[in-house]
Amino acid sequence: MSRLIRNCIYLGKNTLRDKTFFFWSILYPILMAIFFYTAFSGIVNQEFEPVDLGVSPDSYFVSIFEEIEILNVHEITEEEANEKLLSDEIYGYVDNDLNLTVKESGLNQTIIKQILDQIVQVGGLNVPVEQVDMMVDYTISNNQNADTLIIIFYTLIAMVSTYGVFTGIETVSLIQANLSEIGKRMNIAPLRKSDFIISGLVGGFIMNVISNTLLLLFMHFILKLNLFTEFKYSMLFILLGNLFGLSLGMMIGSSNKKSTNVKTLIAVAVTLFLSFLSGMMSPDIKIILDEKIPILAKVNPISVITDNLYKINLLGITDDIYEGLGAISIYIIVLNLISYGFLRRKSYDSI
Amino acid sequence: MVVKVNKLVKRYKDLIALDHFNMEVKEGEILGLLGPNGCGKTTAINCILSLLNFDKGEIQIFDQKMTPNSYEIKKQIGIVPQEVSVFDNLTVKENIDYFCGLYIEDKHLRKQYVDEAINFVGLKDYLKFYPSSLSGGLKRRLNIGCGIAHKPRLIFLDEPTVAVDAQSRNFILDGIKRLNKEGSTIIYTTHYLEEAEMICNRIIIMDKGKNLVSGTNEELKSMITTTEKIVAGFSDIDEEKVEQMRKLPHVIDLVKREEDYIIKFENGINNLSNLLEFIKDNQLTYTKLYSQLPTLNDVFLELTGKELRD
Repeated sequence: MSRLIRNCIYLGKNTLRDKTFFFWSILYPILMAIFFYTAFSGIVNQEFEPVDLGVSPDSYFVSIFEEIEILNVHEITEEEANEKLLSDEIYGYVDNDLNLTVKESGLNQTIIKQILDQIVQVGGLNVPVEQVDMMVDYTISNNQNADTLIIIFYTLIAMVSTYGVFTGIETVSLIQANLSEIGKRMNIAPLRKSDFIISGLVGGFIMNVISNTLLLLFMHFILKLNLFTEFKYSMLFILLGNLFGLSLGMMIGSSNKKSTNVKTLIAVAVTLFLSFLSGMMSPDIKIILDEKIPILAKVNPISVITDNLYKINLLGITDDIYEGLGAISIYIIVLNLISYGFLRRKSYDSI
Repeated sequence: MVVKVNKLVKRYKDLIALDHFNMEVKEGEILGLLGPNGCGKTTAINCILSLLNFDKGEIQIFDQKMTPNSYEIKKQIGIVPQEVSVFDNLTVKENIDYFCGLYIEDKHLRKQYVDEAINFVGLKDYLKFYPSSLSGGLKRRLNIGCGIAHKPRLIFLDEPTVAVDAQSRNFILDGIKRLNKEGSTIIYTTHYLEEAEMICNRIIIMDKGKNLVSGTNEELKSMITTTEKIVAGFSDIDEEKVEQMRKLPHVIDLVKREEDYIIKFENGINNLSNLLEFIKDNQLTYTKLYSQLPTLNDVFLELTGKELRD
C-alpha cells in the first residue's frame, strides 16, 4: 500500500509539472471559458424571458402548462397557431395529443421539448395527471440565471472532465516496455503492472479533478457564472467524465505504438470533435443534430454529460439521470476491457 | 552461475536476431558483450530480462528460470538502458529516489542508498535539477544512478557511454569498475572495443546474432594469427619496395590505409628490427613507424572479414 501511495505521489508530481498537462488541463479550458464568455458576453447573462407556447384549448394538459412558470401559455387553435408561429409570436404549438409543432430550431423550442418529454415520461408511469407536481419549476427553481448559451459552458465542463485522457495515455506509456524507455525500466523492476497503473490513474484522477475544480472556480468567481444548482448530481457526472477520460486515454495509449505526442493530438481531436457535436462551438449544431440524428446525443459521452448537466441544473430534472450514468459507465467498462486486452501481455515480440 | 543462456533464438519475421546464442556469466565478473551495431546485443539483453519473447532457448538467472513474473530475481537486478530513461518532470534526487523505491521499501535504508548513489554518480551539486537542464554526460550519470541505487547483485549496462564526452566516459567506466569491486556482477554491452578491453574480465564477441568467440582479452587475441602490427609511413617508396616489404619474414598481410602502410606479422619477435634493417638497406625515409599489439578489432576482423566499426 505504501508503495502504491508513493507511486501515486511521484506520478502525480510528474504530471503536475508537465507543461502539456498544465496547458491542456488547466490553461486551455480557462482560455476557452474566457473566449466563450467574451464572444458571447452580449448574450450571456440575459434574464430569461417566458417562452410563448400555443396550446390547443381542448387539451387535457392546458392546466399543467399554465402551472409552469417559464411558459407563457396561449390557448389557440391550430390555424391561429400557424399564423403566430410564422409571425414569431409563439415558439411552439402543442395539440391535444402532445404533438409539438415548431417553425425552427432554438433554445426555447428545446425547453418546450424537454418539458413535453417530462410530461410524457410522468404519463408513462401511469401516474394520474392530477397528481403530477404542478409546482415543478422546469427551469430555474433556484434563482439560476437562464443563460441562453449556458449549454456552451456545460459542454466545456464536460469536455474538460474527460481530459483525464492525457493522464491515461501517459500512464500506459510509462508501463509499456514497447512504448517508452521508462517502460523498459518499469518492466524490469519487481513491480506489478496493475499496481503501477492503479497508482498512475488515481494520481491522474486527482490531478484532473483539481484542474476541473480550478475551471469551475474560475467560472463561478471570475466570470460570475452560476452554473450549478444541483451540485451532487453534477459532480457525479463530472467525476464519471474523469473516469471516462482516463479509460479512453488508456485505450488510446495501449492500442498503438504511435508517440505520446501523436496520441495526445488524437485525444485532443477526439474530445474536441465530440464537444463540437455536443454544441460547444454553437448550440444550434446540437439542436440540429438532436433533431436529425437523435441517437448521437445518447452515444456521444460528452453530449450525455452536457445534456445531463443542462437538465439537472437548468431544468431541474434529476429523475432520468440514470440513463446517462449508465451509458458512461458502460463506456468506461468497455474501454477498460479493451485496454486490459492490450496491457495484459508481459513480454513483447518487439520493442 | 549468475546468468546462463542456452541456444537462444529470436526471430523478427524473416530476420534472425539471435541465432542459438549462448552466454554464461559468473559471479563477480564484468562480462563485455562486444559487437557492431545491430549484431543482437540489446536484443539478447531484452530477452534475458524477459522484455522480449523469444522463439527457442533457455534463460536462467541466479540458477532460476527467468520469466516476466520472476519478481524475486528482478529485485536483485539493475538495468541501465541504452537511452536515458528517467522522468522529465522529476528532479535528479526524485528520480533516483523513485527508482530506488521500486526495490527498497524501508524508508531509512532507501535514503541511505539514494545518498550513496548520488555521490557515486557525482550528482550531488545537481540534486534539484531537472533532467532537461543536465548535459548529455550528466544525464547518462543520472541514468546510471537510477539503475544502481538499490545495490543490485547483477547489473546490465547497455552502451552507457554512447554520445558522452571523454570526461564523463572515463567517470562512467571508473564507476563500473567500482561497482564490480563492491560485489556486483556486470554485463556490459558496447561497440567500443577500447572500453571492453579496459574494463571487462571476459568478452563475448557477437556478430549476426551469434557469439563468435568468448574469453579474456588475452585469450581472444591469442586466437588469431596476427601477433603484431607495424604502422609505417614513407615519404619515398615505390611499388617494388612495397612488394619486397611484403616478403619480409613473418609478414602475413600488408595494406595501405590513407598514407600509411599497415604490416601484420604472425610472430611477435624482431619484426620491428627486421623492418628497420629493410628501410636502412633500401635507403627509405620513414615519416612514422610504430608497433601495435593486436586489438579486439583485429580479432573481429580476422573472424568475420570486416571491421568492428563497419
